[in-house]
Amino acid sequence: MNKLTFTFLSLLFVCIHSLQAQSVDEILDNYFENTGGKAQWESLQGIKMMAKVNQMGMEIPIEIVQLKSGKQMTVINFQGQQMKQGVFDGEVLWNINMMTQKAEKSDQETTDNVKREVKGEFPDPFLNYKEKGYTAELLGTEEMDGAECFKIKLTKKPLIIDGKEVENVSFYFFDTENYVPLVIHSEIKSGQFKGQISEIKMSDYQEVGGLYFPFSMVQGVKDQEGQTISLDEIILNPEIDPAAFAFPEDTDSDSK
Amino acid sequence: MKKSIILIVLGCLIMGFVPVQAQQKKVQKLGSYFGDMRARHIGPALMSGRINDLELHPTNSRIIYAGTAGGGVWKSNDGGATFNPIFDDYIQSIGAVALDPNDPDNTIYVGTGETWTRNSVSVGDGLYKSTDGGINWTKLGFDQSERIANIIVNPKNANEVYVGVLGALWSDSEERGVYKSMDGGITWDRILFDGPATGCADLAMDPNDPNTLYASMWEFRRTAWSFNSGGAKSALYKSKDAGRTWKKIHNGFPNGKLGRLAIAVAPSNSNILYTVIEAEEQDRKGLYRSDDGGESWVQNNNDFGITVRPFYFSRLVIDPKNPDVIVKAGLSGSISRDGGKTFKDLGDMHSDIHDLAFHIKDSDFMFAGTDGGVYRSWNGGTTFEIVENLPLSQFYHISVDDAEPYNVYGGLQDNGSWFGPNAAAGGVKAAQWTSVGQGDGFRVLKHTTKNIVYSEMQGAENVWRYDLDKGRIKTIQPLPKKGQPKLRYNWNAPIALSRNQPDRIYIGSQFLHRSEDQGESWQTISPDLTTNDSSKQNQEDSGGLSMDNSGAENHTTIFTIAESPLDENIIWVGTDDGNIQLTRDGGKSWTLTSSNLPGLPQPTWVYHIEASVHNPGTAYAVLDGHTRGDRTPYVYKTTDFGRSWTSITTDEIKDFARNIQEDTVNPDLLFLGTEQGLYITNNGGTSWSAFTNNLPPVAIHFIDLQTRTNDLVLGTHGRGVIIIDDISPLRNLNEAQLKSKLNFFEPTGMVMRDKSAGFVEYFGTETQFVGENPSRVAQFKYVLPKRHTFGKMTMEVQDMQGNKVATLNPKKSKGVNIVSWNYTMRQPKVAKGKTLAFGGFTSPRVPAGDYKLVIKKGRDTFEQIFTLTNDPETSTDSAYFDAKNRITMQLYDMTQELAYMVYELDALLEKTKSKKIKGKLQALKETLVITTGDNYVGAAEPQLREKMASLYSKVANSYSKASPNEMEFLDVIATRFNAAKKTFTQLKKRAKVDLSTLKSFDTFINE
Repeated sequence: MNKLTFTFLSLLFVCIHSLQAQSVDEILDNYFENTGGKAQWESLQGIKMMAKVNQMGMEIPIEIVQLKSGKQMTVINFQGQQMKQGVFDGEVLWNINMMTQKAEKSDQETTDNVKREVKGEFPDPFLNYKEKGYTAELLGTEEMDGAECFKIKLTKKPLIIDGKEVENVSFYFFDTENYVPLVIHSEIKSGQFKGQISEIKMSDYQEVGGLYFPFSMVQGVKDQEGQTISLDEIILNPEIDPAAFAFPEDTDSDSK
Repeated sequence: MKKSIILIVLGCLIMGFVPVQAQQKKVQKLGSYFGDMRARHIGPALMSGRINDLELHPTNSRIIYAGTAGGGVWKSNDGGATFNPIFDDYIQSIGAVALDPNDPDNTIYVGTGETWTRNSVSVGDGLYKSTDGGINWTKLGFDQSERIANIIVNPKNANEVYVGVLGALWSDSEERGVYKSMDGGITWDRILFDGPATGCADLAMDPNDPNTLYASMWEFRRTAWSFNSGGAKSALYKSKDAGRTWKKIHNGFPNGKLGRLAIAVAPSNSNILYTVIEAEEQDRKGLYRSDDGGESWVQNNNDFGITVRPFYFSRLVIDPKNPDVIVKAGLSGSISRDGGKTFKDLGDMHSDIHDLAFHIKDSDFMFAGTDGGVYRSWNGGTTFEIVENLPLSQFYHISVDDAEPYNVYGGLQDNGSWFGPNAAAGGVKAAQWTSVGQGDGFRVLKHTTKNIVYSEMQGAENVWRYDLDKGRIKTIQPLPKKGQPKLRYNWNAPIALSRNQPDRIYIGSQFLHRSEDQGESWQTISPDLTTNDSSKQNQEDSGGLSMDNSGAENHTTIFTIAESPLDENIIWVGTDDGNIQLTRDGGKSWTLTSSNLPGLPQPTWVYHIEASVHNPGTAYAVLDGHTRGDRTPYVYKTTDFGRSWTSITTDEIKDFARNIQEDTVNPDLLFLGTEQGLYITNNGGTSWSAFTNNLPPVAIHFIDLQTRTNDLVLGTHGRGVIIIDDISPLRNLNEAQLKSKLNFFEPTGMVMRDKSAGFVEYFGTETQFVGENPSRVAQFKYVLPKRHTFGKMTMEVQDMQGNKVATLNPKKSKGVNIVSWNYTMRQPKVAKGKTLAFGGFTSPRVPAGDYKLVIKKGRDTFEQIFTLTNDPETSTDSAYFDAKNRITMQLYDMTQELAYMVYELDALLEKTKSKKIKGKLQALKETLVITTGDNYVGAAEPQLREKMASLYSKVANSYSKASPNEMEFLDVIATRFNAAKKTFTQLKKRAKVDLSTLKSFDTFINE
């Protein structure tokens, strides 16, 4: 009898659930609710991810830091050396040149684009997206990796590419079953792959301090084999010396 | 109130069950389980394929669109240097691409169905719109339009859209003429229509007055055996009131019937119009000009370049800056700089030019769309260069051989016959393809044992036997024998080889011809197997107002031949006029077996017969009715030598079919090539699923299965050769597997091949299409019932004792997942230096033997044991590989040992207080690792670490065991390392520093 009641109730739940056409905000609310709650996401000050890129026998440890202030960096560990990539201190975007092992600034346009959107990205572009001036639109459902997904178009503030303003649009595929994003598509705007669709696939969602993060991300071009980043650990609100983000003026990067 | 709640609950209960039932049905649907199986494209792109329409962005010269005849829509973001496909989820035959001039960055309309109506054209399925630059598309109807010629958006009102629908080529249709929408394409009114046989062939809007429109209407019809262009309803119309009323503007036109007309308005002067007229009066065909907005016309030219094949070349383009400069599509393309009085040919490029476009900033720059892709000119059309990354090749047929890597052979519409490898160093590039025939190419077949290729051109005018080793080419097509009538060969004449007799060839005219000596002599082994209906044998009268006797309309011919692989006396023949004939005695007697195909209108073109490899009485027949306007797929199976046939199609298949491939292992696994992509069944045709993973719904004309690799090779008519590697997981995909938590398939690539793909040649390929290579390594395959999203999922290779050998990245899709592994373990930990020791990035191969693949998913663990073997082509002696592996691992271990030593040394340097010891430690360190310089030309002299890593890499990357020279150098390095270790041990003792807080060797190595 109990079992029957339970089945009955769950059917009812499924039914009512599917009877209501979901709005984009309901989907996003469910997403945040299922992954820790908006309040907790809002209070997050930063994350540090310890990860590995593993490609055909080659195993490269990396660390990714993202702060609410917009500061960020990726540190790649080669043979005991730390190569910083994509470091942004709020004003300057820089990388270590692999040849000279010295820091070099990114071109101004790329820097400006990062500056324009980096704060909105943390911890999630959909968090309070309206306040950020973004728009989100539900385009329908589509199957991704065999899972039924809500396809949501996210429009952020425009970017400047090769001197021209372009729309900044990406498409998120949220699992209809548990409301977490499984795939992100966006058109590549510059470089050799310009015009192709970049694809990020997310899985292995796990809980850290009450929040759920994907511990596996596959990045690449749609319909091509991607590169997997596997996270070993995520530290919430890490203590990072601000100097670590600063562009090392005329110094040898190895000591940084 | 209560009642209504109960009702809702009951309703919900019913609703609740619906998805459950639907889900159960879904489980059986193969399509949800293709998962990670993905097609790869190998081109070729060097000869590209037919372009139907070009469209330039009106203000951004970097953006160019190409609407292709059979390969979708491509967009260039770099001014035409390279293109990307943007329409791969939709039908691939394109008639028109148009940008909304009010929002050209985002709003694009695509009308499908090519409009240069040759015999081999593909079909469209309506009108599409994108409002985000081509990323997402919405269908706007016109489902039955088949071909859309023009789309024009009012430059002052984005909601006002006009569409010129050419309509069906092979039948009457109501959905044709000119249509107008006032709401951006949501609703449409037909504003010009003149019967079900006349369509809109060209549409123009006065750029200065959007209310003024010009429309050319064309009466035309094609059948399988003839083409008719022209009639009383072909006409040129003008409307001054945005399409409300139309009047014919024929003042100055030729008398009699008209055919296909092109119309163009000069952007710089709205009064100047040009039209090209196909007319009954031969002398009055050609280019006409009006200087009064169409009120009157003067004939300016009727050269060959202007009047040739109007159905194929009716496109006029006027220089936006100069009304006297016009270009006309044609066999070579023509340009006039005197208002159309005289023309000269455009510069050399692929012949058959269908569209042209002037660059928006400088009319000296031009783009041309041809039967061989997109071309660019930088000097007013004098010289042209080809866009190299448009793999639009249109195959009629493909086949494969058994070479390693195997080659794909095939013939192309207007682009000859070719073969190329399915894999090459750095990918399959243009240089890898070899030409083996001229003209239009069709069947291309490799002799099963000799290095000989057979190929042909249209109508079997030439059938070539090409001895590739000796460089000898001979034509071998059967000629009529004494007393025989004229041989009727199809445009795409069938050639078949025997799996039972390597030197045997078959060719079909109306008779079946067999040669046992590679085409030197021929025997006619059948009577006329066709209907021999003389009313369908007048191809020399084909064309209508312009005669068009190209051989493309040859009819009542044999079209497909299949000798049973199980019995050489069983031969199936299918004809274009509907006959399926069978002999079971090698041609002595023939039986017509096609009189009883359920649900089949007669006669329907027999496109392909597949003789089963499983049973001599079993065959599949694919029939195609599209040449009389019937797009139903017809696929039948017989198991009793054609006495009875069963239809094996379902309404899951969207469009007509041309080819079927039977799996060689599982008789219920079938692959169907249709006008809109590939369909697969694993239940003998009870249900079909479209395969869409990186496979657009392109017309698939032929399919072959490479039996060594189990690769499914598709000859597409618009996107070249597309391959789905190793379809073997589909053989075993059964209901039980789909329900279990995880199920492994047999892994592939278990032999660790040493053969190199060779050196990669990238020179000059920066903007070239490069075909994707298959995996050359181990592949693990498993099926998941559901996409993995929550919780950790890991995958590793372990030795049989459970020690980790390699970490892999598991795939997580629902359905089939494929993970590649190149047999390597992690690279060694390398000592920290100032710069990188590049040799240390080498990951060593594991030795041959038994291993376990271990997948952990949540609380579950799944294991598969597999065996790796050495490459027998390198050596059959395992000691040979043991020796190689031993030295590799000796150097691997030494590298890690040195890494730990340097780690300890650095700690000692930091902690020791003795300056003297510090100095000695530093001196020692400088012999161990590089401590200065950079990773490029500032590099310092290599030290022990770098030398050791280089030797390690050299040995590990070699296919062979270490050479004597390498062993000598190993000795040098080992001696030096031992000396260094000794020195370090002494210094450690003298320093007397507590190193107990340091990480252990194992921790350090594995961190």
